[in-house]
Amino acid sequence: MVQLENGTNFFINDNVDVLIVILQRLDGGSLGVAACVCKLWCSITRNDSLWEHLCFRHVSPPPEGVRTVVLALGGYRRLYMVCIKPVLDRLRKWKKGTGFDESEVMKRVWMQHEVELSLSLFCVDYYERVFLGGGGGAAASSLMFLCNAVNV
Amino acid sequence: MKRDRDREREKKSFNGGVSNGGFSGKGKIWEEDEEETPDAGMDELLAVLGYKVKSSDMADVAQKLEQLEMAMGTTMEDGITHLSTDTVHKNPSDMAGWVQSMLSSISTNFDMCNQENELVLSGCGSSSSIIDFSRNEQNHRTTTISDDDLRAIPGGAVFNSDSNKRQRSSSSFSTSMLTDSSAARPVVLVDSQETGVRLVHTLMACAEAVQQENLTLADQLVRHIGILAVSQSGAMRKVATYFAEALARRIYKIYPQDSIESSYTDVLQMHFYETCPYLKFAHFTANQAILEAFTGCNKVHVIDFSLKQGMQWPALMQALALRPGGPPAFRLTGIGPPQPDNTDALQQVGWKLAQLAETIGVEFEFRGFVANSLADLDAAILDIRPSETEAVAINSVFELHRLLSRPGAIEKVLNSIKQINPKIVTLVEQEANHNAGVFIDRFNEALHYYSTMFDSLESSGSSSSASPTGILPQPPVNNQDLVMSEVYLGRQICNVVACEGSDRVERHETLNQWRVRMNSSGFDPVHLGSNAFKQASMLLALFAGGDGYRVEENDGCLMLGWHTRPLIATSAWKLSPDSGTGAGEVEM
Repeated sequence: MVQLENGTNFFINDNVDVLIVILQRLDGGSLGVAACVCKLWCSITRNDSLWEHLCFRHVSPPPEGVRTVVLALGGYRRLYMVCIKPVLDRLRKWKKGTGFDESEVMKRVWMQHEVELSLSLFCVDYYERVFLGGGGGAAASSLMFLCNAVNV
Repeated sequence: MKRDRDREREKKSFNGGVSNGGFSGKGKIWEEDEEETPDAGMDELLAVLGYKVKSSDMADVAQKLEQLEMAMGTTMEDGITHLSTDTVHKNPSDMAGWVQSMLSSISTNFDMCNQENELVLSGCGSSSSIIDFSRNEQNHRTTTISDDDLRAIPGGAVFNSDSNKRQRSSSSFSTSMLTDSSAARPVVLVDSQETGVRLVHTLMACAEAVQQENLTLADQLVRHIGILAVSQSGAMRKVATYFAEALARRIYKIYPQDSIESSYTDVLQMHFYETCPYLKFAHFTANQAILEAFTGCNKVHVIDFSLKQGMQWPALMQALALRPGGPPAFRLTGIGPPQPDNTDALQQVGWKLAQLAETIGVEFEFRGFVANSLADLDAAILDIRPSETEAVAINSVFELHRLLSRPGAIEKVLNSIKQINPKIVTLVEQEANHNAGVFIDRFNEALHYYSTMFDSLESSGSSSSASPTGILPQPPVNNQDLVMSEVYLGRQICNVVACEGSDRVERHETLNQWRVRMNSSGFDPVHLGSNAFKQASMLLALFAGGDGYRVEENDGCLMLGWHTRPLIATSAWKLSPDSGTGAGEVEM
């Protein structure tokens, strides 16, 4: 709650549109934290459009049809967590290591490629997960099963 | 938030467990840059079975197990009943600790023997010697090679289920001391580096002996390799073991059965796909070439010479779905070997791909063809539609080299390809010459090639990475993936070294050799563009241990290698404008 100059109180939870605008500026980790605040925030942050905004924030507008495909393959939040974030993190380290050209144009070009690569990997992930039973080979999913049993 | 907590827990248990779920309770929170894991230094083969023994402790643990066995055998019954009532049990998966605690809880008349062994240990020089556990021989031995049973075949080192057997290789190159005590074992240290060099020399000497048909010498050498190999660790040991096994098969003429189901090979290849980037590189670069060839076409047809699990096609379909202007109608023809249990594996893969296509909105059609060999097919069977309406691409990943085992097969297939009149032919092959006529040359080539391969597997397995999915590399706990990938490569090694004639299907040839062949058969090269190069580089950067991998561009073709050695090569081809359907002259 914030007290405005004219004396009225401002509750952020009453002004969801403002909240959304703020959340759109956060990164993935912070969105995760935000989801823990309360039920309202949790439901807002789970909204896929926030994550869509996050995925394509720095890239020139994605081609039409991406949304249908991404939603069909599992949604933007999953795309971000499974592919885009790890890809960006690893490539950031790699680029630092190779003394990369960081001009604005190059940045955008590379981000485009990174997003394309992420989308391909996302599709392969979907295929493995849904059709080949368990992503990462059967060994990983059988391990998961064992983990859960122990924790019971 | 709950999900994050679960993920933390998963990470912890991934860290502490081995593939059969045994937990050592050491789960530390596992960070992205952490190099050391509790599994570091553990013997991988035993780890698969649930036992955690450090490779460096192996000799020690084996010796103690022997002593324990002896102690339990010779001690009076009273002496050990307290073990059953003793409620303190150490975790048996930590073998070193368990064995120690068991030994110390049994009577101490073996202390003397331990002391004697210490003497033996200190008495030895620093030169390399060999672990020897022969139960029967307690007296001074001469340096003879016992004419022994097939346990000497080092296959045991790879597939064994008993930790003792591995150490107990019965051929005895002994520099051991005399002992009188019934319990004492002459245990000697092994100097690993010297044995490494000696191992390579012995391997090559053995191959030379095989080449000269001196089978008795080769036999002795191959046993020696088995012993030396055990003293190594990591990639060197595995490579040596596989090569020794292959040599042994060649010497004793125990050829690998070809009845291994292709579904098993598929499973192995899946693990290989997960563990290291070679297959992914192959798929992504080939897809890029196909994608570019298909620009502007509304109907496309891809013929895959070895469909397997169809892992290449989801990414292509997704790229087609998102291309500007919308996706074309996509038709896939998959070719595969017959299944021993008569299941229609191809149809199942086709069905899965069809469902994926429907999910992402691509019009899809599938056809499967079962064939023992590509040469059995021809263009007429494949239902090729007129090229004005449909563009065709032919894709061959690690498949074309198999045709070289039968004379005339490759020419027939290349001819059929020309009749199909594709827009592009993508070819991915191993970058090595494993098809030389002379055995020793083949052997040396293969030794270098697979050593590099195993090296790269080793480092991708041991680096840390953070990802909850299977696409981006998994943490090193996925040793099962690693082991399966090694088995996959091991079978190739076996085929290259042990088989001959039409059985030897792993006839890899270098990019230049393929270039000559394709050029003389009427194909022109298509340069893989910079997009493919960029994608490949990014893909490799994602893989842990990615510093070792190198993408090189070689006159329009892309090669993926480990450090300075290229290992696989992707090339693309189209028909020469002036080539007819006649066969060109091909140098074999």
